[in-house]
Amino acid sequence: MLQIDNLKYTYDKTLYDFSLHVKENEIVGVTGESGSGKSTLLDLIAGFLPPLGGSIIFKNRDINKLDAEKRPLTILFQKYNTFEHLTVLKNVLLGITTSLKPKASEIIKAKEILNEVGLKEFEDKLASTLSGGQSQRVALARSLLRDKPILLLDEPFTGLDFETRIKMLNLVKKISKKRGLCTIMVTHELNDCKLIADRVYKVIDGKLVCKD
Amino acid sequence: MLSNSIWRFRLSIIPGSLISFLLLLLAFGIFYTLFLNSGFENFSSVLITSRVQGLIKFTLFQAFLSTLLSVFIGTLLAWSLAHQNSFRGRDFLIALLSSSLVLPTLIVVFGIITILGNNGWINRSLLYLFNFSFENSIYGLGGILVAHVYLNASFAARSLLHIFESIPKERYKLAKSLNFSTYRRFALIEFPAIKLSLKSISSTIFLLCFTSFAIVLTLGGSPSYNTLEVAIYEAVRLDFDIPLALKLALIQLSITMFLVFLSSNFNIGISNIKTSSNQIPWKEPKKLQFFQLIVISIFTILFILPLISIFVDGFGANFIKILSDKLFLKSLITSLVIATFSSIFTVVFALLISDARRNFNINYRVKKTKLSSFINILISFSGNIYLAIPSLILGLGFFLLSQKFQAPLLLWSLGAILCANILMSLPFALSIIYPTMQKVALRYDKLSFSLNLNGSKRWLYCEWPYLKSSVAYVFALSFCLSLGDLGVVALFGSNEITTLPWYLYQLMGSYQTKDSAGVALILLVLTLSVFIFLPKVFKNVANR
Repeated sequence: MLQIDNLKYTYDKTLYDFSLHVKENEIVGVTGESGSGKSTLLDLIAGFLPPLGGSIIFKNRDINKLDAEKRPLTILFQKYNTFEHLTVLKNVLLGITTSLKPKASEIIKAKEILNEVGLKEFEDKLASTLSGGQSQRVALARSLLRDKPILLLDEPFTGLDFETRIKMLNLVKKISKKRGLCTIMVTHELNDCKLIADRVYKVIDGKLVCKD
Repeated sequence: MLSNSIWRFRLSIIPGSLISFLLLLLAFGIFYTLFLNSGFENFSSVLITSRVQGLIKFTLFQAFLSTLLSVFIGTLLAWSLAHQNSFRGRDFLIALLSSSLVLPTLIVVFGIITILGNNGWINRSLLYLFNFSFENSIYGLGGILVAHVYLNASFAARSLLHIFESIPKERYKLAKSLNFSTYRRFALIEFPAIKLSLKSISSTIFLLCFTSFAIVLTLGGSPSYNTLEVAIYEAVRLDFDIPLALKLALIQLSITMFLVFLSSNFNIGISNIKTSSNQIPWKEPKKLQFFQLIVISIFTILFILPLISIFVDGFGANFIKILSDKLFLKSLITSLVIATFSSIFTVVFALLISDARRNFNINYRVKKTKLSSFINILISFSGNIYLAIPSLILGLGFFLLSQKFQAPLLLWSLGAILCANILMSLPFALSIIYPTMQKVALRYDKLSFSLNLNGSKRWLYCEWPYLKSSVAYVFALSFCLSLGDLGVVALFGSNEITTLPWYLYQLMGSYQTKDSAGVALILLVLTLSVFIFLPKVFKNVANR
């Protein structure tokens, strides 16, 4: 269980105070207007912003004190998820190694994940040649390869066409449930939340309000 | 309606193309005049003399070393500044880095000599404290490199800082969550972002150092440290050997033309866009923070010291004497008038050329064909002619034309100075104005079709609001570059034709140290004031 209690942050005269509990195998959707602080919530959980107070407990451990790279989570952004000058396979491999010469076992793992997200034939292509949906699949594959129990999605499918978005949402749901992840998805599309989320929250005046 | 608008766009190609054509014609005319007068049959005999070979080798060598050092130091500084976002005086330092572009080279030389010269601050301090001083002279390769790096490393740092800060924050967040080391972060995120700009910045710096004149003239010291540009000057002014000057000019012209074509996707890479205030979401380890702050501190001290020395030495000058000197007043007025006209022409040329060029880079305006691509390349090249034809060669061409057409030398020389100053500012002006005009077209073309905004209305509603700050910046930049240039005037300079840098050079040459310190201070204050305040004044007037 991921327990976020009174996680406080202030920006531009707004005081944010987030509380949220996410069980394993659960997908929570967070919506809100532009600038309401949806992405701030993810930045706080991921450790990119220092909170003023509160706690983030995961499996009885306060991960709030950990550096960003040491937290048991992986994050997917709306844009800039891939390194365009690297191949798809190398992009995915970065999830487990930054070495220029990855081990054979690591390559096998990466290829398996690419297969899982339906990009088996694309492994040698440069990321710059991929479509928006394919790029997000690469990023998702890398996130999965990292094998972290918490998955954060920061408007990951905004800008994709309707059909691709639905496919990607279903893929996330399938993988998230299969692996038993604690998933938080931030989006301004309420329909996306309704499609895959078990519970939906809205950010109102710096607080999370449950919509169900 | 659409086709009418498309035709209106296509008509906008004409004025800019005409200017480009005239600029190319000027370049061709100069080249042809030099070629005709150079005595083609003896050309190879000049090329194989050991002196000319030595000149070519040294010119290339100093330009290569200067570029290498400038780009390395500039990158290190930009990287450090990008990651140290919140120290006091950061904005001031960045403003100073921006101003390095317009600092008159003679001022920089003056400041460097005051600090590093045989009788400079460092040697005097060492002598006072330890009874020891450096024997090495600042004159020679060392001095040339110091001055080139001083000017160009700041230029590189300013250009690269903007790129470092434009890297999407998501990239840093992603790298942080993937546990990248500092090295991997640089290799996978930062280097790919700056790679293209590094190429264009390096080629720009190389060309600027290859054709550098005032620095080599004043800090070269001996003929063994002469570059082609200075050798041309000496052949004309000191040895009166016009045929040799012409041959050297042709050699230099051939090399610079080749280099400009080689760096085909040339881009000066500067902008008046403010740097980002968003912090990079990556807290550096303490050791790295310390290293970055040391880099910034050392560079700041080295950058500011020569400027401070000009203020300190300048305050000791007799300003009443300087200001009552008729030659000084004449130089000042000539410089201001030339700078005003060259800035106006530069802005107009840059607007028209950019307007023509954007048609070729927007598919619905002009279809991409081999012919349109060729015209696009020619228009782009016409704006960068200065890098292929440095001002001294331009001056030499004008000098020959003045003899052929027997017009008054004063008229020709003023024309040459004005022309050189416009050409010198044009690459910078285009690199600032063109991207904005391109963006405006992409954003507002369709809207202005639908609202039927044409001509002056389109300019008023769509173009001017986005261009005014760039226009003001280009005007100030061009004014300052013109104010501090010691190029063509070195060929034509006399008591009749004089500018402020030429007047300062004469004072320095006759060892009138106090007066030259005073004039250097006046030139520095004038340049910095124009660069800082002119865009603000312009903005206030435009907003009324």
